[in-house]
Amino acid sequence: MAKDTDNLLVVPAAPAESPLDAPFPSKRMLVNLGPSHPAMHGTVRAVVELDGETIHGMKLDIGFLHRGFEKSCENVTWTQVFPYTDRLNYVSSIMNNVGYAMAVEKLCDLEVPERAQYLRVLTSELHRMCDHLTLVSAMGLELGAMTVLIYGMEARDLIWDRLTELCGARLTSNYARVGGVSRDMPEGWGEKVERTLERTAEMVDEIDRLLTRNRIVIDRCRGTGVISRADAIDYGFTGPCLRASGEPYDVRKATPYLVYDRLDFDIPVGTNGDNFDRYLMRMEELKQSDRIVRQCLAQMQPGAIASDDPRFVLPPKPEVYGSIEGAMAHFKIIMEGIKVPPGEAYACVEAANGELGFYAVSDGSGRPYKLGVRAPGWNMLMALPQIMEGRMLADLIPTFDTVNMIGGEVEQ
Amino acid sequence: MAEETKPAAAAPPKPAPPPGPPPPKNPGMVTFTIDGREAVVKPGTNVIEAAASVGVSIPYYCWHKRLSIAANCRMCLVEMSNAPGGKLMPACQMTAAEGVAVKTDSPKVKDQQRATLEFLLVNHPVDCPICDQSGECKLQDYYFQYNTTASRLDLPKVKLGKRVRLGSLVVLDQERCILCTRCVRFMSEVRKNPQLGVDARGSHSFIATAPGQPLDDRYSGNVVDLCPVGALTSTDFRFRGRVWFLSSARSICGGCARGCNVFLDYMRDGTYRYRPRENEQVNQEWMCDEGRLSYKPMNDGRALEARVGKGKAARSAAVAEGAAVLKRHAGQGTLAWLASPTASLEDLLAAALLARDGLKLSEVYVGGRGDGWEDDFLRRADQNPNRAGLALVARAFGLAVKPAADLAAAVASGKVKAVWAVGAEIPSPELAATLARAEALVVQAVNEGELASAATVLLPASPAAESDGTFVNFQGRPQRFELAYWPRGESLPHWALASELGRALGLTSRWTSARQVFEDLGRRVAGDLPGFEWNSLPSVDRRKGLVPLAAGTVDGRLPGHRERMPLDGSGNVEWSRLPNP
Repeated sequence: MAKDTDNLLVVPAAPAESPLDAPFPSKRMLVNLGPSHPAMHGTVRAVVELDGETIHGMKLDIGFLHRGFEKSCENVTWTQVFPYTDRLNYVSSIMNNVGYAMAVEKLCDLEVPERAQYLRVLTSELHRMCDHLTLVSAMGLELGAMTVLIYGMEARDLIWDRLTELCGARLTSNYARVGGVSRDMPEGWGEKVERTLERTAEMVDEIDRLLTRNRIVIDRCRGTGVISRADAIDYGFTGPCLRASGEPYDVRKATPYLVYDRLDFDIPVGTNGDNFDRYLMRMEELKQSDRIVRQCLAQMQPGAIASDDPRFVLPPKPEVYGSIEGAMAHFKIIMEGIKVPPGEAYACVEAANGELGFYAVSDGSGRPYKLGVRAPGWNMLMALPQIMEGRMLADLIPTFDTVNMIGGEVEQ
Repeated sequence: MAEETKPAAAAPPKPAPPPGPPPPKNPGMVTFTIDGREAVVKPGTNVIEAAASVGVSIPYYCWHKRLSIAANCRMCLVEMSNAPGGKLMPACQMTAAEGVAVKTDSPKVKDQQRATLEFLLVNHPVDCPICDQSGECKLQDYYFQYNTTASRLDLPKVKLGKRVRLGSLVVLDQERCILCTRCVRFMSEVRKNPQLGVDARGSHSFIATAPGQPLDDRYSGNVVDLCPVGALTSTDFRFRGRVWFLSSARSICGGCARGCNVFLDYMRDGTYRYRPRENEQVNQEWMCDEGRLSYKPMNDGRALEARVGKGKAARSAAVAEGAAVLKRHAGQGTLAWLASPTASLEDLLAAALLARDGLKLSEVYVGGRGDGWEDDFLRRADQNPNRAGLALVARAFGLAVKPAADLAAAVASGKVKAVWAVGAEIPSPELAATLARAEALVVQAVNEGELASAATVLLPASPAAESDGTFVNFQGRPQRFELAYWPRGESLPHWALASELGRALGLTSRWTSARQVFEDLGRRVAGDLPGFEWNSLPSVDRRKGLVPLAAGTVDGRLPGHRERMPLDGSGNVEWSRLPNP
């Protein structure tokens, strides 16, 4: 906004369409939306240049959640990075855990046991549902449908309750480990998850009935915030936002990881690339995630939940307390960190917002030499000023909702 | 003669001589390969050292380059192409031979290393959480590097003595011992005082002293450093700190004129132990027990607050008062400078400049600790680390060197009424009592003591751990030490106190670091210190921004909050503005 002051000049009135129209001269205005605004999805500031209600320029001011994630990771052991990844996209932290673990496992050339892979997929999909529920219900709220939020939160908290039973935390799950996951399913957990899925499906149907054919929602979402397929690809869109524009790219299908190739699920693809299609992507993915979770529960076999490679995985506790070998291995891994072979690796997962990539460089020591994150939200956020150019201010709200910018991952 | 000149063609063809050893590839040297890498070493080099020269590390416990070869730990077994029957050979015992191919990473060697460790750990107790060696233990390191398989043992472990007090400084845990006999060999070979031996047989063997004969050698502490595992621990350091929390500074032991090179291990602003640091010309890699414990006065009994008379005072007020006293007596010929040879070269340079130019003195009385015991190994009778440095400074500034006893006589006779002491160490309490009769006693003291308590003006001074500096040892060898942590309390290094006094007396010299002192005044003594590079060790104002810890931490962690950082971001340390802990 270098031309702040220039823009505050009186703009000549648009030519009257009929002789009876009164001339309506207006000034261009700079409006701060956020960083703390009820309609802003997260802590971010948008400086919007308005002519009347039309957006003529927009600048996004991010950094309110900057934590120095990448740099901090260089100061801790490879294992201690996991809690930091929880804070990337904090609504669906397990997918961050899994993405990071996969990058490190690539460096270590480490095989993850099948049950751990299923658990990773299962929890990832549960968290994808949390993420989409959050988006849909927050969008409803910001478009005036408060009820949707209440329903969405009920469903999300039910899922979070299940994840709490699994890993001890609603939000900061810290669930994956290099070589596996931290805990196995508790007794009877699978049935509880299925009951939760049933309840969630009811909620999703309710939300569907409330929003999808809702006049207000359709008016505000259909045809607004449009980005073409070509532009979306150029901006590096991934995830639901890319698919809404008609490009059927999904990491789970393009380069299947973990056990996704054994699961039967569909990838919804939109056509219009507008807010409504992006909303519909989420609604459909909620159903697809439900399918995946049920398949995982059905296919999972008992087995190890972590690799038994003693170089990278802590020995079982009885060995740590009962044998000198276990005590030493535990000491070395905890105090010095696992010794990841030197090299670099990129691994990515299909997170709720798109391709979440981790680029890890190891110098052979117990700590990452460098860790880079490809945050899916960044590309969508980057495109927002272009999407909104010449559009109405009111369209910014649903658009900001559906691109789903998450400060935690965009601002590392 | 005639036969010899016959044409060779006439002779029948001779059978080819049997093939002898091929000529060495590099005459005078031995050329062979280790894991495919060619190594050229001097004849007689053992395979461990030869491998190290090309960057291949072979694990070992019992081998030590300053001890005889025992080859009993079996950790260093490698494949050598000249071994009979393809047996694995101990790399510590085998010398490199021309054309031999050594393999250190073949499956056979790896399996042997794994088996050796499994064997060593069969009777090892699960002690890591309570063991002082944890974090610097070669069992932990090698287990993780060469074994990592779980225990297959389902029998009870052999029980032996858990805390056998071998001597005043050394405790033995016989269960943790792997019987490498480094300690035994050190005592018999280096100390020629065989107080340790191996008792009993088989898995019940243990290290022991003879009945009724404790390990009372004056160098017994070295066996703790030599022990590759946690069997021998120091009674002094035991249970006081975890090694991964300690940082190390390269320092010089101040216990005697030898100036053994040491690592000073510290945490926050406390010194936890000295460990000898290798220096072939000074202490090889040993040090005496008394020197090992000589860090204690840096922690305890410190003078940390300034005093005027008997009352506590701000340091600035004490400096002003001290300067006024010195000024009053300087012109009268009733002032004397008492310097301690425990102060660093930089301290003494700064103080000597003040003595000569500010106070117009022409002589220096030498205090310091009185003589102690001496032997033909390391220990010197002179218990002061920098007597040679003091002599150099005195000569450079044209000051006559006189013993402290002369000063006591002058004070007793009333000729000297005021004494400025840089360092409160004094050879005997009687001398201190005599000096206490002086009308004015301005003392810069590291520790409380006779002279410090008699001071009319007391300025708290910092020891070697809290400053950069140099000691010149009895051989005339200047040895740098580096700051470990900031000065404690109100204290400052002697040079900074001398600088403050000098400023109060109108001198223009202003130094903000020991390095500046040496840059400013060091050329006066540089002729006596050929080849001395002050910057050979880092110092606080060498670089801008963070000054990384000297030797890092034991576990290789980044220093984190433990960096030393100049407070104003300029890279210069304002000593007077340092925070109090």
